[in-house]
Amino acid sequence: MRFPARPATIPPTLPEWDPAWSRTVDAETADGTHSFHVLDTLEALRATGREPTGTIVALHGNPTWSYLWRHLAQATVDAAGRAGQRVWRVIAPDQLDMGFSERLEHESLPKPHGPEVRRISQRIDDFDAVVRTLLAEVDGNAPDTAGSSAPTAEADGSDHPIVTIGHDWGGVLSLGWAARNTALVSASISLNTAVHQPDDAPLPAPLRATLAGPMLPTATVLTDWFLRVTLGLGDLDPEIRDAFRAPYDAPGRRYGIGGFVADIPVDEKHPSYPELQRIGEDIAALSHPALLVWGPKDPVFLERYLRDLRGRLPQADIHRFEKGSHLVSEDFDVAGVVLDWLAARFPAEVDAGSTADARSTPAASPIAAPSTEANASIPSAVTNSSAAARPITAILDARRDDDSVASVDFSRSPAQQITWRRLWHVTTSIAHGLTELGVRPGDRVSMLVPPGNNLTAALYACLKIGAVAVVADAGLGPQGMTRATTSADPQWIIGELPGLGLARAFNWPGRRISVTPLGPVQRRLFKVETSLTDLARTDHRGALPTPAADADAAVLFTSGSTGPAKGVRYTHADISALAQVLTRVFNVAEGTGLVAGFPPFALLGPAIGATSVTPDMSVTKPKTLTASAIADAVIAGQATMVFASPAAYRNVAATASSLSPEQKAACARVELVLSAGAPVPLELMDSIAEVFPAASIHSPYGMTEGLLLADIDREGVARATGSTTTVAGEARPNLGVCVGRPIDGVELALAPIDDAGTPSETLLRGPQAHGRLGELVVSAAHIKAGYDRLWRTTALSARDDLDGRDWHRTNDVGRIDSTGRVWLEGRLQHVVTTPRGPVGPGALEALIDQDPQVSRSAVVGTGPTGTQALVAVLDAEGTELKAGLAPLDLTARLRAQVAAIDGHDLSAVLVAPNFPTDIRHNSKIDRSRLADWADHVLTGGSVRRRV
Amino acid sequence: MKITVTGASGLLGSSVARALVASGHGVTTLQRRPSGVDGARDVIGTVTDPTAVAEAINGAEAIVHLAAKVSLTGDPREFAAVNVGGTRTLVNGAQAAGVPRLVHISSPSVAHTGESIVGSGAGLASPGLARGEYARTKAAGELIALSADSENLRVLALRPHLMWGPGDVQLTERIVERARAGRMPVLGAGTALVDTLFVDNAVEAIVAALDAVDTTHGESLVVTNGQPRPIGELMARIAIAGGAPEPKLRIPVRAALTAGSVVEKVWDLGEHDDEPPLTRFLAEQLSTAHWFDQRRTQEVLDWRPRVSIEEGLELLVAHYSAN
Repeated sequence: MRFPARPATIPPTLPEWDPAWSRTVDAETADGTHSFHVLDTLEALRATGREPTGTIVALHGNPTWSYLWRHLAQATVDAAGRAGQRVWRVIAPDQLDMGFSERLEHESLPKPHGPEVRRISQRIDDFDAVVRTLLAEVDGNAPDTAGSSAPTAEADGSDHPIVTIGHDWGGVLSLGWAARNTALVSASISLNTAVHQPDDAPLPAPLRATLAGPMLPTATVLTDWFLRVTLGLGDLDPEIRDAFRAPYDAPGRRYGIGGFVADIPVDEKHPSYPELQRIGEDIAALSHPALLVWGPKDPVFLERYLRDLRGRLPQADIHRFEKGSHLVSEDFDVAGVVLDWLAARFPAEVDAGSTADARSTPAASPIAAPSTEANASIPSAVTNSSAAARPITAILDARRDDDSVASVDFSRSPAQQITWRRLWHVTTSIAHGLTELGVRPGDRVSMLVPPGNNLTAALYACLKIGAVAVVADAGLGPQGMTRATTSADPQWIIGELPGLGLARAFNWPGRRISVTPLGPVQRRLFKVETSLTDLARTDHRGALPTPAADADAAVLFTSGSTGPAKGVRYTHADISALAQVLTRVFNVAEGTGLVAGFPPFALLGPAIGATSVTPDMSVTKPKTLTASAIADAVIAGQATMVFASPAAYRNVAATASSLSPEQKAACARVELVLSAGAPVPLELMDSIAEVFPAASIHSPYGMTEGLLLADIDREGVARATGSTTTVAGEARPNLGVCVGRPIDGVELALAPIDDAGTPSETLLRGPQAHGRLGELVVSAAHIKAGYDRLWRTTALSARDDLDGRDWHRTNDVGRIDSTGRVWLEGRLQHVVTTPRGPVGPGALEALIDQDPQVSRSAVVGTGPTGTQALVAVLDAEGTELKAGLAPLDLTARLRAQVAAIDGHDLSAVLVAPNFPTDIRHNSKIDRSRLADWADHVLTGGSVRRRV
Repeated sequence: MKITVTGASGLLGSSVARALVASGHGVTTLQRRPSGVDGARDVIGTVTDPTAVAEAINGAEAIVHLAAKVSLTGDPREFAAVNVGGTRTLVNGAQAAGVPRLVHISSPSVAHTGESIVGSGAGLASPGLARGEYARTKAAGELIALSADSENLRVLALRPHLMWGPGDVQLTERIVERARAGRMPVLGAGTALVDTLFVDNAVEAIVAALDAVDTTHGESLVVTNGQPRPIGELMARIAIAGGAPEPKLRIPVRAALTAGSVVEKVWDLGEHDDEPPLTRFLAEQLSTAHWFDQRRTQEVLDWRPRVSIEEGLELLVAHYSAN
């Protein structure tokens, strides 16, 4: 088959494509002049009177074309008008034989070793030629000599950064070009791509199939199979899919698709193999800022390629779209991430005098660059850590000769008790063992070990050597745990059998270590290399590495109730600060005995010097904790403190009658009862008080990103009930869940929520904040360091810089009352935006739930943002109510109560046949599903539809 | 200000005329029978008659055009004559007489195509897609009025939605009567959310429009209480306020739609003075959501509904227990 030459053309009219972006450019490549079709926003920018102050050069992969960058083009053109934003020009050529660029002449179908295939080295040269031709059009970025390691554009004073971005094989090619033009390029971005290493692992199956000899031309050129399959990896509307296909509508125009596939260096003998290796090495030498945006569901550019790139670009920021696939920029707001990242890395020049103004303008990018998460040695720009951060293992080290009890573990039968001396010895031995095995500082270690002495030993061994503990709890379910573990990408897994089985079944990454030694069959089956027991026999030879205070210590996962669970990073300084909070606020001091029935706090005993007792219970089933198990734990640890979850206390209260006199006496010695994980209603506090008559009962408020933020005790809950706050001269009852006041060391601010449900960029504190609905924003030494591999999520959550502190946007909404107490009213995305203003559902639910006819309720909105109708949905279960409209008298009563609060108008009161709740916290109502059901019913749909 | 009100024999028209008189305006009314509004000058005639129109608007500084044929069924020619032809006659007359302001009273049904309306704005009047003769001809009439909008004749179209209250015979009285007779059906679970408008608020909105039209004109505004309610609940409350029992007769939506079509056809065959008990249009109205974004309306009119639905229901109770 012959392929005739054909010059570049301009695309036809296409959806989401501005014809002003299209141009053809002749460029002098290594083998003569060729014509390229290029997406170039220069004219579109100049049409609005703007001159670029930065340039993004973008390279597509196979089988797409510059159409892939249309969202980026549109976003940059749109943003160019905004205050504080640079004017970014996008230059995105179609590669030769691809898109609407020139079709070269070919005598025969493409073959991997064929002479006519355009090789990656040529493609980088092509890119260089066309990009340099276009860059020369704008003053300030005239290309200088290539290849030198001169300072970047910014550093030499020209301040016109040039940034590369690529996707698929265009990712690697653009990174390679950037690495060879460091004098020109200031930063690099890549979406899913790969520097394939044939010796590492075979090519992914879909590519192997395509490459298999005679299949190649058929799959890629003669038919549209490869094109169709690739475009099928995105959730594309038919007209968008057609636009991607437009330049490849006949076999005669598809040589490039086959040629590109034929040029994949499948093994060492492939003509492009040495070049790809060189590119890979060049990329590894890149030291400028980098961003990797990844769709992990890509069947070709797998996790291992991201891992490889992380290794080559340790400075890279990473943002994963957990549900993204190969065409991640089609299904997710990649352009938004890129623009935010660019704004953080290359802020627009602002007059020194107007800096403050620009910062307070919402139109200016609110995002400051978060400290890079990839390189722990770079300290964060602003730190709240106390200057004298004590190493987490300092007390453990200090007590190495102490023969008193450090930890009692009732999860074993008989209970296992170990001394400080033994705990120090075991953790130090395991630390040495891990180091000898190859665990390096910064390596991640997934902990699949239930709370108890084994977990404590494994954790503190890791902390000693700067290995990062990854804790994905079983509450996420196998799928959620798999996603979480895969995104954290641990190098090691320490697990007991059920965990190792999961790891094997779901093919988790990481070398395996068991807790106790396994037999040869199981060792092979679970690919286990050694065990904690074996490691604990290691001699203490040589010095252990000492982790830096701002190095990562742990990655914990959120519950995932509002999307895929997010990894939350804590540094050593953060965890140390958390331990100090327990000491400072709750008096958990050296020598205290505490019963640790709540996992995160259970692990802090050795950091504080407290004797921790793990009671006999299943962690994932807090209801298995009985009063007598707690009492036995109290006795064994001479404990004066008990930490557990509300669900556990409920069961403790229910089983209190079985306590022996001795057990009762032990419980009566408890001074502090802490209930964490969910708010505690007063009646449960009262029941707890009957079991622990001498204890003060506290219910702290926190989240994975900040475990201890506010606190309220039993008396506080009693006082809060029925209290009011006066706003603008009118007393309004305080409603929602009162979680008390910020604890010592926590700064609290409020971002008021506007009529569209959007929280303000300006934070309020003190009396200004009182009584207003807003997002709660907190600052403390012990809040998260960032989200893991979620650059934009981190940047958004930490975008405030009030007082130069690090703040965290909690996504929780509520009010601060006139005495400084916090009242939670729900999550930000559940705020109802009525024409009378925003409504926090929790406040009205608290009111409605007081009605004797109601068991529980969810307040949702129906209709467009800003003009939603307010709807109360009641749970039929456990009541006399029938699905449908609530009875008239009940409706009238609830409506009158709601109107009396803020003048809000309750449009409808519906009774739902069932209430969906999330699995991890049975109490968390799935408001989104209830809102969907209410939408359906309130437009005339059947009330019998299951929620 | 000298103001002409057409259709002042109905509840809304006479209430508007009365309110304008009370505010000290000079009010002329135009309708087929005496308006009964003290202090107003009545011109007896119809809007389809250019002479009567000319007489009624002579010297007027503003017109409130309420006259319309309102019914669920009837002769299409009659709807067209009044709602389309009458509006054209009035607009032509206003232009000829140099009247500077026209508040045209329309209906949200002019933009209702049978689908649910969930918090939308007014939308364009659509004679081609609107349901039923009334809505189709009102849509055409609104387009005529709005197309006449200019700096010389400033036109604002108001679309009051499902007006009810003491004295209303169109909706309130029918619900009460049928509920008393045990013939008031609830379609489906009665959960479709609808906007309504208490009559006093409608009057005040129209009066407010006479001021607003000077600054904002050439557009349509739906006017409601801004308190969407499930249709079943609202009808039950109106029935109870009128002394009737809570309606218990439930009809599946699909059956009602079919029955509505059938009844319409059968009704047209016979001679009837009253309305058919059910039409397809009514069945749709009763089983789909239609409630509106009121932010633009309240901003343009600088008006807020003064009487809440709950207060309106109490006034209705008082009205029925007094009569």
